[in-house]
Amino acid sequence: MEIITISFISLGILVLMLSFGVPLPYCFGGALMTMVLFGGATMNGTMVWGYTQLSNPVLLCIPLFVFAGSIMSVSGIAESLLKFVNIFVGRIRGGLGVVTTVSCAIIGAISGSGLTGISATGPLLIPEMAAKGYPRGYATALVANSSILGLLIPPSVTMIIYGWVTDTSILACFLATLGPGLLIMVLFCVVNLVMSRNFPLVIDPPKPMPQQVREGVTATTRAIPALIMPVIILGGIYGGVMTPTEAAAVAVIYAVPVGFLIYKGLTWDSFIEAAKGSATAVGAIMVMIVFSLMLSQIFVMEDVPQALVAGVFTITENKILLLILINLLLFFVGMIVNDVTAIILIAPLLLPLMEAIGVTPVQFAAIMGVNTAMGGVTPPYASILYLGMRIGKVQFSEIIKPAMTLILFGYVPVVFLTSLWPDLSLFIPGLFGY
Amino acid sequence: MERFFRYILAALITSVAAIQFYQVVMRYVFETSVMGLEEILVYPTLWLYFLGSVNASREDTQIKANVLDVFLSTDRARLVVRTVADTMALVVSCWLTYWAYDYFRYALRVWKESPTLYIPTVYAESALFIGLVLMTIFTARYLVLNLTRLFTVAKPEQGV
Repeated sequence: MEIITISFISLGILVLMLSFGVPLPYCFGGALMTMVLFGGATMNGTMVWGYTQLSNPVLLCIPLFVFAGSIMSVSGIAESLLKFVNIFVGRIRGGLGVVTTVSCAIIGAISGSGLTGISATGPLLIPEMAAKGYPRGYATALVANSSILGLLIPPSVTMIIYGWVTDTSILACFLATLGPGLLIMVLFCVVNLVMSRNFPLVIDPPKPMPQQVREGVTATTRAIPALIMPVIILGGIYGGVMTPTEAAAVAVIYAVPVGFLIYKGLTWDSFIEAAKGSATAVGAIMVMIVFSLMLSQIFVMEDVPQALVAGVFTITENKILLLILINLLLFFVGMIVNDVTAIILIAPLLLPLMEAIGVTPVQFAAIMGVNTAMGGVTPPYASILYLGMRIGKVQFSEIIKPAMTLILFGYVPVVFLTSLWPDLSLFIPGLFGY
Repeated sequence: MERFFRYILAALITSVAAIQFYQVVMRYVFETSVMGLEEILVYPTLWLYFLGSVNASREDTQIKANVLDVFLSTDRARLVVRTVADTMALVVSCWLTYWAYDYFRYALRVWKESPTLYIPTVYAESALFIGLVLMTIFTARYLVLNLTRLFTVAKPEQGV
């Protein structure tokens, strides 16, 4: 049997094992096993290669960003940020929905992960929105969808992994998803303002100006320590002062006194729990990454990506049609696997095809980022939506309609714009010379 | 076991952050580089990754897709799928452990040392083998637990 056929069989085994719910490191291991036992590939030297990849200091920023985000989340920053954003839009009809979306985006910039974002904001925002007259299902859908912005507003764990597996500048990848992320945030705010017209909302009575100023100053002062964190991270990285790994370490060390002494939500127990939770999450990701990289390495050695490009070009060479097909593929992949898996699985295989049709690796980073983010709220594998349902205590039937409305008017237009309008993802990296 | 993982993982991730921060302070504040710090960093980092993954296997919190579960309506059907998944995971885990053992033997034979501080690299490289052995043990444990549950659930149905 030809090696290409074996390669596709191994991908079939991977999908089969995924469907059965086998832990992801073993799914990639199963595909690897197929290539070795039936495709004549060798494991001699592959483990050494995998170990060398895992020792790369660039990857170290993943556990550190996750840890910093976890510490900040348990510190109680969400409440301070909520009050801060509330100063600007809190008193307009639908303003709380806007506050929710923007707060989730800022917390995303701090945590770099959708799951951490919704864990920090959901318990606070969903009851608050429900109390102000928003339907609970809608409030949960808005918080879940907005939490995904954490994957698009830098620093983003998925972009670190994309940059690493495709050998693309991680800093450029961070900036590539910023434009689409901000556009999705604006679209969510607009959709929220339109939908809010139909809700029986409770609007706060206007307060006297001195009281507004006093509350504004208090909320801003309290939010500053949290707002400084993305400034340290992004300013340090893009100012050329620190590498992403160093910035992540500084973020951890900064988050500890902020959590213990300023917000005071961090206790010794919650610190240890955040450390253990971060290490466990990171361990699960890193071991999966090492086996998926070994599989990718074997695919590259067997010229599988090139065969895929040749195969796709026999169907069509039309760039727009190909981009639409790739977006549909990414949409379906996002529906069944999580963001990190989708990127590890798809990015090295499809990048040669994208480059062949004139899409740069940086633009492809944005395309993958937006699609995999949308996958986090698209059933059946909608981890962030499901976590939102648990936090918001709502049924699937209550959340699905507003969630789909937000996806349809927030994500879908940006998915197509990111693919068909390169400047959306390339303009900001271009400003920084990427 | 819970206490062991709680404190060892917290110690590892905190020490990795602290070492990296120390490097930042030395490099940018005192404008001096610390020789061999990146070499030291590899050891807690590799153990952090693999012990983190072992804990995910212990807690059964490894990332999974569970696509079939959406289409299954009974607990028994889900348990059957779970058992099949555990069996597949155990077979693959044993195969990966065998290759990790092969690498571990190679690392012991070669006994490489880090270039600046001459620390044997096998102390970091062994994390791969030991991590996979422990992951295999916990995978086997869940398979046994699910098989037991499956046969316990099956008994009343057979009796009806």
